Amino acid sequence: MQGIGLLKGMFVTIQEFFRKPVTEEYPDVMPDLGDRFRGGTIKLKTSKCISCGICMNSCPNGSIKLTSVRDENNKRHLSTYVHDSGLCLYCNLCIESCPVKCIDWTNEFAFSGYSREDLIFDCIDLAKKRGYDVPEVKATPEAGEKG
Amino acid sequence: MNDSNIFMLISSFLRSLLSPLLGNDATDLSIYVVGLVGVIIVVFTNAVILVLMERKVAGFMQSRLGPNRVGPWGILQTVADTLKLLSKEDYQPREVDKWVWALAPALLFIPALGAYAVIPFDNQAVPVDLNIGIFYFIALSSLSTLPFLMAGWGSNNKYSMLGGMRAVAQMISYEIPLIFSILGVIMLVGSLQMSSIVEAQSKVWFVLLQPVAFVIYVIAATAETNRTPFDLVECEGEIVAGPFTEYSGMRWSMFFLAEYANLFAVSAIATTLFLGGWQPLPLPGALGDILQFIPGWIWFAAKTYFMIFVFMWFRWTFPRFRMDQLMSFGWKVLLPLSLANILITGVGIYFYRVMIGG
Repeated sequence: MQGIGLLKGMFVTIQEFFRKPVTEEYPDVMPDLGDRFRGGTIKLKTSKCISCGICMNSCPNGSIKLTSVRDENNKRHLSTYVHDSGLCLYCNLCIESCPVKCIDWTNEFAFSGYSREDLIFDCIDLAKKRGYDVPEVKATPEAGEKG
Repeated sequence: MNDSNIFMLISSFLRSLLSPLLGNDATDLSIYVVGLVGVIIVVFTNAVILVLMERKVAGFMQSRLGPNRVGPWGILQTVADTLKLLSKEDYQPREVDKWVWALAPALLFIPALGAYAVIPFDNQAVPVDLNIGIFYFIALSSLSTLPFLMAGWGSNNKYSMLGGMRAVAQMISYEIPLIFSILGVIMLVGSLQMSSIVEAQSKVWFVLLQPVAFVIYVIAATAETNRTPFDLVECEGEIVAGPFTEYSGMRWSMFFLAEYANLFAVSAIATTLFLGGWQPLPLPGALGDILQFIPGWIWFAAKTYFMIFVFMWFRWTFPRFRMDQLMSFGWKVLLPLSLANILITGVGIYFYRVMIGG
């Protein structure tokens, strides 16, 4: 019958009318980024880090700079850890290569600065300020993360 | 029916206040002025509400939130829009036909406002209860064709001209089925007076007796108010904004105001003719008695806003017609249908009279 499509269309729109909006209210509500999101700066757990420097070596752009000192037992201790997010291409190689899984992304995708220096983050300082060192029970990244 | 409603109370209060001071004639005149001011308040308040409502309905139908930044739930969005429009430059393009161009938005507003004179807002609360009420409404609504053509011609712009010509073609074609659908109701009532049309629906609403006329009326009214799917006049995908292209600021917002005033007017007429006006839902028994206690103007507003919602529902559901489809639909489908409706209504009335032996 002709015209039945009009009623069907009106039924569809009235259903949409009463449905929950799909809008992401971003500045008010943080969006759910998902587990595989790469972005922000590096969330470093200083107590877990063994200062091996693999992350620094795996970085294709050289955006991670870390220095360490050796103590009397010839064990390395982290002294500085700097992430230049202006150079970072968010390839995830550092995080995948970390043998003790002590680094992760902070997922703060919206930062900006007036100069390039504003994009360089001292990760030890950041970890201290935000308390990343607190041991947290978190599900490890699932399979499929592997390259 | 309750004989004293809020409008009657205000009116009798004003009369008792003014008639010792002014005498009877001047009192009548001042009551009309009060009515006019009331109507203007209704028009502007409605425009404010309807702009927000339109955007919210559009948002919800597209699974969005709609405006929600200005004020709680976006309530002050229209205020912000109005302030923006008021503060805009009154820009006049160099090549326009100055008088025709400048008069069009103001002239469009006159029939839109004039139509409110015969709308029965409540029991005995018609601004002017003409005995040819619906005829007056039809006459005025056909006047709003001309300002569109004026705006289109005066803008000296080919798209505006096209839009103006479309407005004339569309509004004149769809006026005929609109009037013929109203005719069915008038035949049932036997009167053109708005108040008696409402009174006649105290037992059964005319939407049940004249369903075809109601559908034709709603379709033709959508075309008359130039709303989607009949917004060939504005039609931003093809002809920029039609006759509105060269307008900005307050001039442009006059068109907008007139559009919403028209939308409310046709919805109010639909309410009056088909949905029982200010009368409550005719239910038998105790429930019907309870519904009587709700004031008539609330019934009227609720039904009118429901009709407005239906028009908005159409707008955000249906895609736009093509010009030739529009014309052939109007002349080849709606017109014969409305004529057939008149014929069947006449036959029905005849048999009803034979049956009751009148």
